[in-house]
Amino acid sequence: MAPLEDALPPTPPSESSITPKIFQHLVSLAALELTEQESEYLRRELNQQLQVIRDLESIDLATDLPITSHGVPYSAETRPELRHDRAEPSDKADAILEQAPEVEERFIVVPDIPHTELE
Amino acid sequence: MSEFEAVIGIETHIQLNTESKIFCACSTDSWRVPPNTNICPICSGLPGVLPSLNEKVVEKALLLATAMNAEEINIESFFARKNYFYPDLPKGYQISQYDEPLALNGYFEFPMPEGDLCRITIAKLHIEEDAGKTVYKDQQRLIDFNRCGVPLVEMVTGPDFRSADEVAQFLIRLRRLLRWLAISDADMERGQLRVDGNVSIRKVGEDRLNTKTEIKNVNSIANVRDAVQAEIERQIREVEAGGMIEAWTLDWDDERGVLSKMRSKETEADYRYFREPDLLPVQLSAGDIETTATLLPELPLARRSRFEEQYAVPEYDAEILTDERSLSDFFEATVAAHEGDPKRVSNWVMNDVLRLIREEETSAGELGLQPAELAEIISMVEGGTISRSVGKDLLGQVRSSDRSPSQIVEEEGLSQVSDAGELSEVAIRILEANSDKVAAYQAGKIGLIGWFVGEMMKETGGQADPKLAKSLLEDTLDSYSPKS
Amino acid sequence: MSAEISELPAHEIVTRLKAGGLTAEAVLEATLERIEAVEGETASLGGDPGDGRGVHAYVSLTVERARAQAQAVDRALEAGDDPGILAGVPTAIKDIFCVSGTASTAGSKILANFVAPYTATPVARLEMAGAITIGKANLDEFTYGSSNESSAFLPTPRNPWSSERVPGGSSGGSAAAVAAGEAALSLGTDTSGSIRQPAAFCGVVGMKPTYGRVSRYGLIAFASSLDCPGPVARNVKDAGLMLQAMAGADPFDATAAKIPVEDYLDQIEGGVRGMRIGLSPDFSRLRYPDPETGELREQALQPEIEKELMKSAERLAGLGAEIVEAVELPNARYGIPAYFVISRVEAASNLHRYDGVKYGYRSEREPEDLFDLYRKSRGEGFGPQPKLRMLMGMYVSGEQYEKRYYERALRVRTLIRGDFERAFEKVDAVLAPTTPTTAFEMGSIFGDSVAMQYADLLTVPANHAGIPAISVPTGMDNLGLPIGMQLMGPDFSENKLLQMAHSLEQPLDSRPTLVKELIGE
Repeated sequence: MAPLEDALPPTPPSESSITPKIFQHLVSLAALELTEQESEYLRRELNQQLQVIRDLESIDLATDLPITSHGVPYSAETRPELRHDRAEPSDKADAILEQAPEVEERFIVVPDIPHTELE
Repeated sequence: MSEFEAVIGIETHIQLNTESKIFCACSTDSWRVPPNTNICPICSGLPGVLPSLNEKVVEKALLLATAMNAEEINIESFFARKNYFYPDLPKGYQISQYDEPLALNGYFEFPMPEGDLCRITIAKLHIEEDAGKTVYKDQQRLIDFNRCGVPLVEMVTGPDFRSADEVAQFLIRLRRLLRWLAISDADMERGQLRVDGNVSIRKVGEDRLNTKTEIKNVNSIANVRDAVQAEIERQIREVEAGGMIEAWTLDWDDERGVLSKMRSKETEADYRYFREPDLLPVQLSAGDIETTATLLPELPLARRSRFEEQYAVPEYDAEILTDERSLSDFFEATVAAHEGDPKRVSNWVMNDVLRLIREEETSAGELGLQPAELAEIISMVEGGTISRSVGKDLLGQVRSSDRSPSQIVEEEGLSQVSDAGELSEVAIRILEANSDKVAAYQAGKIGLIGWFVGEMMKETGGQADPKLAKSLLEDTLDSYSPKS
Repeated sequence: MSAEISELPAHEIVTRLKAGGLTAEAVLEATLERIEAVEGETASLGGDPGDGRGVHAYVSLTVERARAQAQAVDRALEAGDDPGILAGVPTAIKDIFCVSGTASTAGSKILANFVAPYTATPVARLEMAGAITIGKANLDEFTYGSSNESSAFLPTPRNPWSSERVPGGSSGGSAAAVAAGEAALSLGTDTSGSIRQPAAFCGVVGMKPTYGRVSRYGLIAFASSLDCPGPVARNVKDAGLMLQAMAGADPFDATAAKIPVEDYLDQIEGGVRGMRIGLSPDFSRLRYPDPETGELREQALQPEIEKELMKSAERLAGLGAEIVEAVELPNARYGIPAYFVISRVEAASNLHRYDGVKYGYRSEREPEDLFDLYRKSRGEGFGPQPKLRMLMGMYVSGEQYEKRYYERALRVRTLIRGDFERAFEKVDAVLAPTTPTTAFEMGSIFGDSVAMQYADLLTVPANHAGIPAISVPTGMDNLGLPIGMQLMGPDFSENKLLQMAHSLEQPLDSRPTLVKELIGE
């Protein structure tokens, strides 16, 4: 029988793992600007969800148990072929550009990226 | 300077020269088209789109991995998403490969100009998609997605370089190899080959890796050399003055020729890699790997050695004759057809043929000159049938005609006149018509022989064998006395 | 008359059209009349949450497109050409699919002004088969939710059986439209139950095909390894017909399987004699986390649902099926926790592209720099549900947590899949309730993201395993709310599942209550 991993030590559920500081970090990673009210609500919900997620920690997983990326395994029968290398220009470039909020001479325009001060 | 040694590793991004992009059917060539014209919903990251992998990308990447002697070519490798925000990245993530790449642990070996061999390890070789381009203007960024989705192979070396010159030489040899294998056009000015360098220094004899700086945005091999050299020197100065090296990212300013600390703040870099769920694993069969290994052609450096050995041409020649594949093949086919001294063929190819190629900005394969035709011309010149200058002209004539070289020579009467009797008659005619010059020559102005030979060439429509003409004229002049 | 036409099964519309007794235009008119009668206020951004005087199934109608399509179908019929297997069938498209020239909003402010320049493959196939695109059905924002309440387009859809109750989600508009006769078919998506659960709540049929059976190209992605486009219909045969038109490989979808598409209708009335149908104790027990302690508590099913399960099993046994009890699927209970992790990681990444730069909403406030533009546009454009998903996704896939959460969840998925593979060695399908409860009241759990996710408790295991599953109405509870039962089968066993489901389904024998009120019955 394959050796079992030790189940991960359970985190006490009373401890909310997503502190305001961690939350702020996630918010900046996600490129979001939130109101304080929203932040409070979201952080609380995330921590509730984490309680549920922690259920996974108690499962014993054999160390050689592989991950599953897609539930259905692909075989020679089901795996589609790779695309042949042929250039077929799309006729949608203009329609795509039309969706952009700001365009100048076919470039999409955005504000500049923040800079650090040079020494 | 000798107290410290440089420790350099580089990451190269190589644009593959497939017809279409890696995940969509847009063309990979948007060099001359207006911005945002070579795009489709897929490469511009519209909602709902999915990537579809181009089979040629895998083929070319596998070929390169094989040429790099990769110890581990993974039968199954996985695409992964590298998540971050940047305007030239329409999906907000780049589809790349992370910890399950196509190939690992290869090496590239090449000679330095001084002769010693340099071996650089290739730690990792993987497939990914290129991003778009942004241009800075008036406190704004202008974004063009034309380049999004062009296929790239990224190769990461070990920290094996010890000088800027080694880095430059690596790139020269790599560029040649990429073109040789028809994997990439590898033109650095067009961004088809891009290099980021990681530079650090340490005391000679030390084993550790110290803090490194990253150099980006260098767009020619010469600039890479200069930038790396400048950074090595800066680090040495800094350390000698008691300072510390910080992990800066440095931008090469092309106009001023200096490195400056990068101006843009990067977003927090936790890329949160995970396997790309929209793509299946890249699958190779053992057969694919074997076939690619057998299909790998003779590589430039191996061929260079062989040419030196097999054809007894000097290294200088062999280097030029293995710079580009179609020229190289052309040379060899001509040698086979010629059956004489390969060195002669080499001279013709390196001088006349190569000149034509450069003038017309074409390649040996597209010149319209057959190796057998060149071989014939060379033989005719060597055999004295035609003069060398006629031979050179023939190169052009043969290309625009169905006739063989010897046919043209015959039909147009281009053979070199080597009949001493015939030439003697002409010589006498010239002397009789130019008694003053004869007198001058006989009086001691022997430099006039050049003029006489020129006249002989004129009289014979350029077909006199020049050497024979000269010696005949000399003899005739020596013994000539005007008929009175 | 038009009331009946708008409630005709899809397959019957096609038959009558081909027989010449009906025109596509007449069907379209009847449908538009029904919409007029029951739809109520059109949903819009920042619209009124509404007073329940309508079904509000749609975000937008595509009447011109529909008229042109209906005319084309009628012309083809007149000319004696084949108009397609879905000729003239009014179809609602969940607004998570890009349809060229239409606003394709994902139920979100951030895409409210996005006009798709291309059409999703499944939609294109339906249209090529002669279906009439009536409009875009409302949905939970970016399909995040199980009640349709999170849509930015208000009022949100009501359950046609009770205006106080949710239609389910995220394909709430799809299920409501079909139940209310506002379309005969709807194209939905099922990521953790988003077709089956609203189908069960609304008393219609909803199917999640095998992952990869139907192309996802043009489906605005939630969780790329779980999303499945699928049919919503009023009966099993219609679901089979719709699947027939859409299924199959697609060069634009590298995960769409190239295994040939079977004939789904050929044996659909073949019955269940000799089929082995399993019952699993793991689908009759419900495990909920205690909101205070987080401890998992066990709870029984809603009694009427439990009873309905037994009745269904008995009925199938009576038709000759072999009922196999005690089919163990012990890891199914980890479906929701694993789903919280896997779907969020993928969703967070899939949401990166919405940044106010290339399309969609851009904040009008002056940004300091580009990243500020992102933050403002995303902050203003997204509702709370997308924000929850991206934040959780970032958390569980971050470097330090990746092994503890993301990788672990993917391995738990292996366990869930393994359970089903073993089960299908013994049975042809597993029969289970689709939902733990019947349709809940609007506002009753909205805002509680955990409770909302747990509505998918019984549906999500099939998504993890990738297997196909179909929900059919079988009866009602004491409040007159529909109950749905589902059958889950092995990979690519849709034809067998449809056959079994055909025996299992029990059409509800009255019009939905709200519809009756609104058409003045």
